[in-house]
Amino acid sequence: MSVFLKMSVSVAFLRPFARVLVPFALHRKRRNLYSTILQRYMSSNMPSVPCSNKETTSPPEQLELDGWKATMKSSVQNGVSIVSSSEDEDPLVATRELIEMWRLLGKEVPEHITEEELQTIMGCASKSSKKKYLKYLFIKEKAKKAKQIKKEMKAAAREEAKKAQLLETTEEDKRQDFLFLRLWDRSMNIAMGWRGAQAMQFGQPLVFDMDYDNYMKPKELQNAVSQLLESEGWNRRDVDPFHIYFCNLKIDSSYYGELVKRYREKWDKLLLTVTEKSYVDLFPKDNIIYLTADSPNVMTTFRHDKVYIVGSFVDKNMQPGTSLAKAKRLKLATECLPLDKYLQWDVGTKNLTLDQMMRILLCLKNTGSWEEALKFVPRRKHTGYLEISQYSQEFVNRLKKAKTFGSFSKVSRNVRTQKVT
Amino acid sequence: MTFCLSGIGNFSKLWKSNPYRGLGPGHSYLALFVRDHCGIRNQQRWFSLKTISPQNTKATNLLIAKARYRRKDEDSNQVSSDSHFLSAGAAKKRSQMNPQSKDPVMPSVRNTIQLPTKPLNSEEWDKLKEDFKGKANFESWIGSQMAHSHSSVNVAKSLLAWVAAKNNGIVGYDLLVKYLSLCVFHKQTSEVIDVYEIMKARYKSLESGGYSLLIRGLIHSDRWREALLLLEDIKKVMTPSTRNYHDCIQGALLHKDVDVAWNLYQELLGHDLIPLLETLEAFFDFGKDIRDDHYSNKLLDILLYLRNNQRYPGESFAQSIKTWFESLPGKQWKGQFTTIQKSGQCSGCGKTIESIHLSPEEYDFLKGKIMRDVIDGGDQYKKTTPQELKRFENFVKSCPPFDIVIDGLNVAKMFPKARESQVLLDVVSQLAKQNLRLLVLGRKHMLRQHSRWRQNDMEKVQKQASCFFADNISEDDPFLLYATLHSGNHCKFITNDLMRDHKACLPDAKTQHLFFKWQQGHQLAIINRTPGSKIGFQHILSYDTVVQTTGDSWHIPYDEDLVERYSYEVPTKWLCLYQKT
Repeated sequence: MSVFLKMSVSVAFLRPFARVLVPFALHRKRRNLYSTILQRYMSSNMPSVPCSNKETTSPPEQLELDGWKATMKSSVQNGVSIVSSSEDEDPLVATRELIEMWRLLGKEVPEHITEEELQTIMGCASKSSKKKYLKYLFIKEKAKKAKQIKKEMKAAAREEAKKAQLLETTEEDKRQDFLFLRLWDRSMNIAMGWRGAQAMQFGQPLVFDMDYDNYMKPKELQNAVSQLLESEGWNRRDVDPFHIYFCNLKIDSSYYGELVKRYREKWDKLLLTVTEKSYVDLFPKDNIIYLTADSPNVMTTFRHDKVYIVGSFVDKNMQPGTSLAKAKRLKLATECLPLDKYLQWDVGTKNLTLDQMMRILLCLKNTGSWEEALKFVPRRKHTGYLEISQYSQEFVNRLKKAKTFGSFSKVSRNVRTQKVT
Repeated sequence: MTFCLSGIGNFSKLWKSNPYRGLGPGHSYLALFVRDHCGIRNQQRWFSLKTISPQNTKATNLLIAKARYRRKDEDSNQVSSDSHFLSAGAAKKRSQMNPQSKDPVMPSVRNTIQLPTKPLNSEEWDKLKEDFKGKANFESWIGSQMAHSHSSVNVAKSLLAWVAAKNNGIVGYDLLVKYLSLCVFHKQTSEVIDVYEIMKARYKSLESGGYSLLIRGLIHSDRWREALLLLEDIKKVMTPSTRNYHDCIQGALLHKDVDVAWNLYQELLGHDLIPLLETLEAFFDFGKDIRDDHYSNKLLDILLYLRNNQRYPGESFAQSIKTWFESLPGKQWKGQFTTIQKSGQCSGCGKTIESIHLSPEEYDFLKGKIMRDVIDGGDQYKKTTPQELKRFENFVKSCPPFDIVIDGLNVAKMFPKARESQVLLDVVSQLAKQNLRLLVLGRKHMLRQHSRWRQNDMEKVQKQASCFFADNISEDDPFLLYATLHSGNHCKFITNDLMRDHKACLPDAKTQHLFFKWQQGHQLAIINRTPGSKIGFQHILSYDTVVQTTGDSWHIPYDEDLVERYSYEVPTKWLCLYQKT
């Protein structure tokens, strides 16, 4: 029977020797708790236990099965005194407890929560938004922890290497002849600065339209700013950078605040034009081309005499046609990338991130080759390149045939399903 | 059943004819005409309908339902046109017509360990743990497996005992919850109470999952009132779920505490939660034993709630409603399960169901909303341009009201094998022969010469109908909606588009439902699939599918258990209740 009972009996029996045995396994406090529980348990349950403590007989199941309950209940008194110390009916405290219980249950919630985060959770309108935010915190916490561990490991490795090196280098004093001091980063920055200044004077303008902060939630805005930062970085490193304009950027907008927060003191030294004015005030209207995935016109070549506009807009909320509406209002020409012409599209939206757009445009500007430029479209979104150049004529012919004779054709079918359903 | 639009005049006559009862020779001619013309209805159904007598409608309906259900696989290639395309099950059928759709292949579950079927002792558990190879913690993994496959309580208990023995008598919270869920599932009330005691003692507060399980377990015991306290505990942090309320209400009703139950129900509505149909059903089930006007009025309030929120009871709920009505003393309610004829008359009692048409106020309200939210939507440039909007408004105002508004692109692309302009011309000339005032909406690219859009076809179309061509990048559907609404209540529109995206643009559920009601009453969908033949249209429902009363009768649409209904469809089955006089 009852392994549990057997065990407890033996432990109780060994109690005189516990001083010797137990410390290896248990903490001092735990040990005390454990033994008191056992004692209580033994005293309360012993009478009811029939002496059938033999392996051979099949024991009454109930005793074995219910044993744990008594311990759980009796361990209670100790537990309660600990927990109920913070007797407070504050909803904040209650939320904290709820999250703790969820953590015990193995749900995806963070271990530590700050007061502000708790306030945010309380401010969430619905249960699902609460859970979403908790999961976000959980992932963030996990990433942070992993990073911390990695950092420590690296530091340890560096320490080790240093020690080893110290031993070696002391033995032989190396003397070598060098042409340059090690100042690569700095000289690179200076060179990029020169190129940027050149672009400010003679570069082709590329406009980021910042007039979307009303359409975005804080999260999306942050993502947009990250993407802007990255595209600016790609531009800076290019051989022939664009002259970047941030148009419609209002000084009091959240966009501005976020950008300044990220760039800090570098903000005023950036080699790009920031203006509250609109692009239609800065450039002649005929030269402007608004790039938007909703556009019916497909971009065929990169024109070096045009001003391309990219809407700095992260749209997670599915508001199609926002940028197209904007271009329509100002009567601007619009174009979209020829993604369908060159790529076998698979999943995902045709909206690309700002930095991908930037790299594609830079590549087009330098090489003019679509195949080369569209390498920056994420690989997960398409299955491969279409062999347009070779088979284009044949393909078009086949398409025409399919349409006129009404045989199965994927293109016409797509059109139909779009309309009908 | 399908009707061909051979004239709008006898269109309505067709609807009034009653195919379920009193089939004269004239009527059967009509039926045959319909059948032959469309060539897609199978005879079996027709003849089974003919035999219906008012006495055994219920049984026959069931038979029909079953037959239809079974037939789905057989004639999946056929166009099933016997139900309205916004009626329950229609979307399912449409999807089954699509040959590409296949049942998803169930991923085979790799189960490394056979779950124990009887309680194990600790050596056996140890051995099992050694066999286990997986990432997860063995105890919690096996716990969730057992909870998932509803193992017996004793097996779980032996697991807990083993864990406790290993762990100084401590069992983790997650294991306790899994054990609790098993106890609740197997309705082991005493075990639930034990776990409740343990949890109460060990933890100051629990989380929502644990509370929910405890509530569900406790309501069957004598300590059901403590479930209400647990509900209060949940409320401290978040809104309880509808399921929590359902359990508490169920518990209150089990212990005959009606006031508590109604209070909880009010609270539930106060939180803007949508009560489960089971909750409402529980009230009706309990009502059978109560002779109390107050309680009866509350139940009638529930029915009005169903009406106002366009909810439909399930089959068993409908049965409960019927039983409750029939148990009312002295009133002599008689209930039966029926269908509604196309004329809008109940097959059971012959009363006319409420009309699908909107009241004038509702109509104006909807018109304004469509204009403001669907077409304009805060930014006129999104769907059209202000110039175009102006042009369209002037155009609509300059024309007398239309009888039918046609979505040119949708109609033209009905048959992928035929030329678009030809299909459009066919439809337009067929309708024009009946002296209907037509409006064709399209886009400008339709006017350009193209192999699929012949100019002379389009000229003929323009001769027979008024046309409005929007810009190529504008949306034409909003114009369609507005033109139809502007022309008045008699005007219909032709498209096979379900208009769900435009419905979603409307701000609240109330308006969306008005739109849906109007759509049911005014949309003509084309049903034949072969070009060249005479165009047949989906019949238009003349009655509104909603819970309704005339004081001495109730008509309640309900969902059948075997039919899958999409959210934009309405049920076809009704519960008819009337007082015998």
